[in-house]
Amino acid sequence: MDWKRFDRARRSVGPIELDLIESYAQGKISRRTFLHRGAIVGLSAPFLATILAACGSDEPGGQTDGQTGGGTPRKGGTIKVANQKPVSTDPVAMQDLPGYGIVAQCFEFLATLGPDGDIAPGLAESWEPNDDGSVWTFQLRQGVKWQDGSDFTSADVAATMDRLAEAGNSGLQGVLEKGGVDASDPAVAVFNLTGPNGNLPYLVSLYNAQTPITPVDYETGTTLQDSPNGTGPWILDQFDANTGCTFSRNPDYWGEAPLLDAQEMTFFDDPGTMITAIQGGQADAIVQFPAIAGAALLNDPNFTVLDVQAATHQQVWMRCDTGQFADPRVRQALAMTFDREGMVQTLFNGRGVIGNDHVIAPFFPYFDDSVPQRTKDDEGARQLLSAAGFADGLKATLQAVKFQEIPDFAALIQAGARAAGFELELAVEPVDTFYGTQWCPPKPADPPCSGAAELGIVNYGHRPTPDVYLNAALSTGGVWNSSQYSSSEFDAAFKGFQSSIGVEEQTVAAGQLETILNEDVPVGVAYFYNYLAGHSSKLTGVQVSALGQMYVDKAGFTE
Amino acid sequence: MTRYILRRVALSLVTLYLLATMVFIIVNVLPDDPGRRIAGPFAPQEIVDSLNERLGVNDPLLDQYARLLRNVVTFDFGESFKFGQPVKEVMLPALGRSAKLVVLGFVLTVPISIAAGIFAARRRNSFADRSVVTLGLASSSIPEFVSGVTLQFVIGVQLGWLPVLALAPSDAGLIGELRYLLLPALALVAVYFGYIARITRAGTIMALDSDYTRTAVMKGLSGRRVLTRHVMRNALQPTVAVIGTQIGYLFSGLIGLELIFNYPGLGSLLVNAASDKDFPLLTAGVILVGVIYMLTTLTADLIIAWMNPRSRLAGDRA
Amino acid sequence: MSIESVDPVIVGGPAPAPPVFDARGEKRIARRERLRLLVRRPGFIVGSVILLFWIVCAVGGDNITPLDPINDFDVSNQRPNADHLFGTDQLGRDVFSRVMAGARDVLIAAPIAAVLSVAMGSMLGVIMGYYRGWVDEVLSRIIEALLSIPVVLVALLIISVLGASAIIVIGTVAVLFTPIVARTVRAATLAEAQLDYVTAARLRGESGLFVMTREILPNISGTITVEFTVRVGYAVFTISTLSFLGAGIQPPSPDWGLTISDTYRLIQAGFWWPTLFPALAIASLVIATNLVADSIDTVRSA
Repeated sequence: MDWKRFDRARRSVGPIELDLIESYAQGKISRRTFLHRGAIVGLSAPFLATILAACGSDEPGGQTDGQTGGGTPRKGGTIKVANQKPVSTDPVAMQDLPGYGIVAQCFEFLATLGPDGDIAPGLAESWEPNDDGSVWTFQLRQGVKWQDGSDFTSADVAATMDRLAEAGNSGLQGVLEKGGVDASDPAVAVFNLTGPNGNLPYLVSLYNAQTPITPVDYETGTTLQDSPNGTGPWILDQFDANTGCTFSRNPDYWGEAPLLDAQEMTFFDDPGTMITAIQGGQADAIVQFPAIAGAALLNDPNFTVLDVQAATHQQVWMRCDTGQFADPRVRQALAMTFDREGMVQTLFNGRGVIGNDHVIAPFFPYFDDSVPQRTKDDEGARQLLSAAGFADGLKATLQAVKFQEIPDFAALIQAGARAAGFELELAVEPVDTFYGTQWCPPKPADPPCSGAAELGIVNYGHRPTPDVYLNAALSTGGVWNSSQYSSSEFDAAFKGFQSSIGVEEQTVAAGQLETILNEDVPVGVAYFYNYLAGHSSKLTGVQVSALGQMYVDKAGFTE
Repeated sequence: MTRYILRRVALSLVTLYLLATMVFIIVNVLPDDPGRRIAGPFAPQEIVDSLNERLGVNDPLLDQYARLLRNVVTFDFGESFKFGQPVKEVMLPALGRSAKLVVLGFVLTVPISIAAGIFAARRRNSFADRSVVTLGLASSSIPEFVSGVTLQFVIGVQLGWLPVLALAPSDAGLIGELRYLLLPALALVAVYFGYIARITRAGTIMALDSDYTRTAVMKGLSGRRVLTRHVMRNALQPTVAVIGTQIGYLFSGLIGLELIFNYPGLGSLLVNAASDKDFPLLTAGVILVGVIYMLTTLTADLIIAWMNPRSRLAGDRA
Repeated sequence: MSIESVDPVIVGGPAPAPPVFDARGEKRIARRERLRLLVRRPGFIVGSVILLFWIVCAVGGDNITPLDPINDFDVSNQRPNADHLFGTDQLGRDVFSRVMAGARDVLIAAPIAAVLSVAMGSMLGVIMGYYRGWVDEVLSRIIEALLSIPVVLVALLIISVLGASAIIVIGTVAVLFTPIVARTVRAATLAEAQLDYVTAARLRGESGLFVMTREILPNISGTITVEFTVRVGYAVFTISTLSFLGAGIQPPSPDWGLTISDTYRLIQAGFWWPTLFPALAIASLVIATNLVADSIDTVRSA
């Protein structure tokens, strides 16, 4: 350890950054976590490198998630991208991954996707918090122009954030209010938050997908195709909601101009057909594909898989307030019947990690790995069940939605739980009706979801932080709390997690949450699965996030 | 003949009116709150109410009915909820694509199945006849989404002979487009070959056995002449009727093939409209499909009437 | 989705009016004669054997399958082998057992839907063919309009609103098939109503209801039988199609259409067996009902 260099570096930063550096130096966090957190708090890449060099790197090089290297790309050419049919391309209101992926071609975020899968400076060149993390200052990139020729300024940022605050953006709600961004200096955007928040850069990055910066005069409700005036590397040429869209290179792009001349994006109804399109050579890249139907792609030497760790998971909710699962021992028993490794293997070809009945995914930097993993134990489950008064077994209906692998997951749960005495009946409903009848029926409305079924499976998409899962699904009175879980201990721990700023503090808070959830099991979480995308190996430089945003501005054909 | 045509057209208009009424009943009778359906279970009530207002579901039923009939006459159904564009603009390209696929499918199917049907009928109960019948029955009993995927995988992916997606790039030209459409069209051939061949076979056998054929043969006409002049004329009437109804039906009935070959035709457009609760698009689509069905069956009836003047006297078939 | 909207209209009926005396006895002899002809037709035998096999599977369910079709898991995606004749599916369940057990849902739903549609359609058809005139005109127009509605689309719409229960699926298919049956039965009734015995009954002053149910209906029973067998075949197809589109029977049922829709995309990964065998099962069931229908039709009109 080079103490002199280390000390010089640590003197130049504020308390939040300092905590991070200390944590790394003391070996409390890994190199990967350090880089990850460093990007969030706005430490520059050269600075991080200084620290790493000072401390001496003791781990192998970071994994390059979701990005391909190798080969020298040539200039020119058109890439054909297969994407699913978007539901909405309104930047503020969109909720679907295909929509995110389209909008992200033209519009950009303050923080964009870094080479390691983490966030990196985008329209903001750098950012830094005040001492307690309640005010964040973003230095905006200069010389950026909208595609119509006008200049990008902090007024655009302030207007975008106001629109998001008005629309009740799920990430910024309770963090930033309308008028919270000070745009008095056109080159600087100062975010005055409602309270301290260590995760703000995430909330204005591509990981909060509705936050791309749109022009100051952009009206809420406008879609990309109505007003395709972004700052991004691609210009939208054509758009047909039924068939697809095309983009061409933005010659005035502030960054490095894309190597490719154009992008043709085709929309699909059926993910399986997207795989066929790759196999038949009619698409060069696929924005997302399922591991099982895409098994052929995973083993194809002419295809490069982009495998991104994600927090995407399914929650097996069990009603904690009434019914047969009200006794926590019954919930523990059911969770004990999951063959987690087998599920990851069967349902995802091994492309995922097992869960431990809580929502802190293992790749979150504050994941506490000291909480014991629950493993399959039919005998233990049977004993718990009998202790809870179900010596002769228990009959229940497992509600599931017909979405992705969920019916198969449900079938595996059903079969696996039999040996322990659970006799589960499966009821699978289409997406159309499931959420409004089984998961969170609109009535009775108080408390929310109190009309939910006794036992069911619901899907949760990727989030950069677990706050939404913890808040909406598990807090007392949460809007998606289908298990009707209500624990003052948990609620307090969640508050503690939210207000903890340093990595060490966050890990402790996360560990508490993990322990409580693992003990109470309001929801069974059997796995977190990876986001899979990919492209023909004729290409290089394609990057993808777990939220459907595929970046091809640095991509090119190698042959 | 003119009188017959006029009568058939007038009857079709009556049918169209009834169709519009039925669509109205289906949309209104189903116990549903369209605004809630569109906005989802968590939308605030105000949004649901304003949507319902926009949809006009709170208007008196009679007004809604009158509006629908007016829309049918002007063929203007307003804007699609999903696309925010006039329904016509969304639907016409999809209609064009469906038409191309259906027409190509039938151009390929009809000649070979009629030939096979007549061939089998003339060699009744021979091995060749039984082969045609059995093969036909088997091929039309495999759901077309299965034959579609199989063709796609074998010919498109494994052999690499044809494109696996059916929608041609905009610069493909007519011949290029045909190449792209060939795989789904072949899947259609697999389904319809057996059906049309069997109908033709049955019709031909009936005609061959009839008195007028016997008379013609006794008059000493050559076998070929009998076949073309007398038998075909009568034998093909059921075939024409079936082709007419099936073409009309297929405009919206190819949902599976459209999905597999990512071909944005009318079928998948309307299925999506149904699941998105895009009522203007759905209503317009169902009525458009109904009109197409009536047109194709009408055309078939006219062809039959031309082939066999007696059927005109018999009035309409239904 | 080659569900026919229209079938070849079966014209001509059974032999003309029987003599007044001993009509019953003669009919019985004729029926026995037909049965004798029927069992001599290879098509009928093959069709019946296949049908019988599937009926046994449907009745036996998971009691007679070699492995539990829902709860037995082995290594997934095994090719057909000695342990698993048809291989295993994406979850490792035995495809052979699933194909056998998959007969149940469709064999319950399809005949019920067919019976309902044939009952309603026959009633309408006989009324139209017997009364003719304006009754016929009005009902014909309604039927024509019903036929022009896209079948699968309406089924999807109804099911998406009312939910995908077995009763809804059966009811929807039955309603959709009714107009087609009505049209066929009407044609048969028209031919029958012109025959002397009907005129005679009318002259005797019998009520319309009596003539329709006691005189016409028994004489067009052949047409109705054929119509029923044909409808069963198409019902199998339609229900499978609805399952394929996600609006029919729901997992983990081993239903064939559902299985195909869950697995057909695995073909491109090289796993063809979980899709092919249920597809062949659908085909065999449709072919079998067709063979039986064809045989009955041929014998009846011979």
